[in-house]
Amino acid sequence: MAHREYLFPLWLRLWHWTNALLILTLAVTGLSLHFADPALPLVEFSLAVRIHNIAGVALIAAYAFFVVANIVTGNWWQYIPKPPGIVGRAIEQAKWYAFGIFRDDPHPHTPSKEVNFNVLQALTYWNVMYLLMPVLVLSGLAYLYPELAPERVMGFDGLLVVAIIHYLAAVAVLLFLLSHIYLCTTGKTVWSMFRMMITGWHEH
Amino acid sequence: MKPLSGRWMLWLAVLFLGTGMLSPAGAQDKAAPGISAEQVERNRKANQECFACHSEAGLHKLPKEGLDVKKLRSLLQSPEVFGQSDHQRLACTKCHNEGYDEHPHEANARESTSTCTDCHSKKANLIEKQFEKSVHADLADKISCPTCHNPHLMRVADKLIDPRKIVAQDNRVCLGCHDSDEQFARFAPDKKQRPLIDDVHHWLPNTRLHWKAVRCVDCHTPLVPAGEMISHQILGKEKAEKNCLSCHSADSQLKTRLYRHLAKEEQQKLGFTNSIILSNAYVLGATRHPLLDTLVLGAFAAMLLGLLAHGLGRIVARILQRRKK
Repeated sequence: MAHREYLFPLWLRLWHWTNALLILTLAVTGLSLHFADPALPLVEFSLAVRIHNIAGVALIAAYAFFVVANIVTGNWWQYIPKPPGIVGRAIEQAKWYAFGIFRDDPHPHTPSKEVNFNVLQALTYWNVMYLLMPVLVLSGLAYLYPELAPERVMGFDGLLVVAIIHYLAAVAVLLFLLSHIYLCTTGKTVWSMFRMMITGWHEH
Repeated sequence: MKPLSGRWMLWLAVLFLGTGMLSPAGAQDKAAPGISAEQVERNRKANQECFACHSEAGLHKLPKEGLDVKKLRSLLQSPEVFGQSDHQRLACTKCHNEGYDEHPHEANARESTSTCTDCHSKKANLIEKQFEKSVHADLADKISCPTCHNPHLMRVADKLIDPRKIVAQDNRVCLGCHDSDEQFARFAPDKKQRPLIDDVHHWLPNTRLHWKAVRCVDCHTPLVPAGEMISHQILGKEKAEKNCLSCHSADSQLKTRLYRHLAKEEQQKLGFTNSIILSNAYVLGATRHPLLDTLVLGAFAAMLLGLLAHGLGRIVARILQRRKK
């Protein structure tokens, strides 16, 4: 029996796509800057700097909105795996991604208004949004205001530490992005989860 | 010793700001190549006689009465600063040569003050050709070497070593006029308005940060072959370097410009490309870590391959399941 359930409110969907657009913009300009090379022109350097700075500030605003809105609406609770049996459900979910999905086994977790995400999703989203994003945003801010960076570290300019942290955090976010997009094809149909993030309605 | 001329002091006023264009890396103190330690000591002692009046300390404890204190105040030098300069081993009278032995100095003594070319003739010939093509060429009757290169302060880059000190010294020279309406008006053609330095560099991200990390002349001079002195052909905004990648790339021009005197130093410290630049500034695109980048690209490749394999597996499994049915 086909079911539909309204899972994602408008504010969350608007934030999600704003965030996605900003992350993509930052990724393209960030790659242009980090791998700056006359032989690989992607976005012109000074233009890339300006776009990256503006999009970076916008990302901070979007992130602040996400954090506040999650607190206000209580949605933050969705990112916390609920005991008991967290480990067992995580193993079950991992097994499904590794084997069950190929056998057309049913999804081990059915999203509901009370529990949007499976355990692995909740854990991953929590880590990305509440651990990785602060590192990315804070290192980005220090990059934007280099006077915030330490003067010298290990005989090198202190901005190096900031730059490497920012780079690795961005890489981690982009690796997450790739897997996130791919796993969105594992819904009822390849496109159903993409549709869900636009309409807010989940199809069981 | 005769008081220095008004024009000389004008130079000093502007050039107290430091030196740079005459102090490229690689410049040698050939004007006094074989000077002995004994001679240096004699010069130092002789200079103390000059500093007895021509220094802040001397002004407050004048060795004789009847001096024109107001005039003297405009003719002071710092023994400490001079003691760090490229000319530190020379006697004041090497340049302020005739008419300064006794006090009061002879009335026309300043007219015999040596010029830079008296000692640096070979270098001056080369510089003159470059200067003729410089945006400053039209000001040839108003400016000369010491307008930018204060001989009492100047320090060549390979003696200053620290790029930050080189940048601070050299940019003070340019900004001394180009960031000051008063100084700009002294030298600029009549009615020429000073372009606001921040406005003309509006296109350059992190403008003021650049000015702390790199010299004006690193963009405003044509690139010369490695090993040659930086050009004195100052380029205007139309011809100056505007391609960010000239510096912000692995093959950064900074290696042959600001960091040329450090070219023989370790360039791959801890695996970083251009690590010698990194000792002073993180230059996006230039100071990268090839191994780290390879690992990152490898992680992306592994992720993409893994996802691709998983996706293909699903497609194949779906096809097989349909066939079974």
